[in-house]
Amino acid sequence: MSSGPGLESLVDQQISIITNDGRNIVGVLKGFDQATNIILDESHERVYSTKEGVQQLVLGLYIIRGDNISIVGELDEELDASLDLSELRAHPLKPIIH
Amino acid sequence: MSGRKETVLDLAKFVDKGVQVKLTGGRQVTGTLKGYDQLLNLVLDGAIEFLRDPDDPLKTTDQTRSLGLIICRGTAVMLVSPTDGTDEIANPFNQPDGA
Amino acid sequence: MLPLSLLKTAQGHPMLVELKNGETYNGHLVNCDTWMNIHLREVICTSKDGDRFWRMPECYIRGNTIKYLKVPDEVIDKVQEETTKSRSDRKPPGVGRGRGRGRDDGAGGRPSKGTGRGLDDGGSKGMGGGRGRGGANRGGNRSGGRGRG
Repeated sequence: MSSGPGLESLVDQQISIITNDGRNIVGVLKGFDQATNIILDESHERVYSTKEGVQQLVLGLYIIRGDNISIVGELDEELDASLDLSELRAHPLKPIIH
Repeated sequence: MSGRKETVLDLAKFVDKGVQVKLTGGRQVTGTLKGYDQLLNLVLDGAIEFLRDPDDPLKTTDQTRSLGLIICRGTAVMLVSPTDGTDEIANPFNQPDGA
Repeated sequence: MLPLSLLKTAQGHPMLVELKNGETYNGHLVNCDTWMNIHLREVICTSKDGDRFWRMPECYIRGNTIKYLKVPDEVIDKVQEETTKSRSDRKPPGVGRGRGRGRDDGAGGRPSKGTGRGLDDGGSKGMGGGRGRGGANRGGNRSGGRGRG
């Protein structure tokens, strides 16, 4: 029950978060709670654009409030390392609408 | 329930002082704090609301309207700060990041 | 580690708080509670567009309006000690009112997945960045630069 095995198995792994305002934040999951508040260490924001490659902004240690999280995903580090972000073009996500 | 200790901020020190309150939805008011409870319901006297730009409701303008004696419902209170010592300033972050 | 323990440990440290409305607040954390309500001192407020700034001696922010908090990197190392301490203070595993149907022969038990923290902290970190970038850049003014329509 509760959130089950849920995020426990992802602790200390790289995860990728999509926030309600459409940001993509990648970092190491250090902790979480019932409300899906999340501690992300060494986090980076990936800013997508159709005009230039993906920009990575260093954010550092973040507590992200669960309210503001749409998606938490495991990051395949090998696959991720093989991406050439500077060549990647994508539309930025729009914020979610309630 | 340990009563008053529940709150992070002791509003007692703001009583009879000017406070600025931001409410969910974007309204912003200032007034003299006359009373409060543990749910953060606030009584403000001589309250003034800062009106917002109709085209961009996120921005407050210099226009105000007087509300008089009001109660702010606690659930709608987003932020409370003393007006004393609160000033608009120039950009204090000399090196904007993300450059 | 619980987000709120980290926040609690961050008391006295500078931090950046972004609210759901996009405003950001830079200040020193005085206090926080289990609702994530926070009390900041020596605060600089930045408007959503990053074009207007206010300083205020202190402010109280309701937890549910927060989008995220940026905490100084070193705080996570300080919380470690406190969690391990409080962990050992807690009742030993298996003594509590057990969850589930206690088969006694040990066959049904969950293999208690270790979270693997502790010793191997800092083992394989992808990406550069990381700690020790120094706290000078408090990320105050980033809101403007995102170029969203």
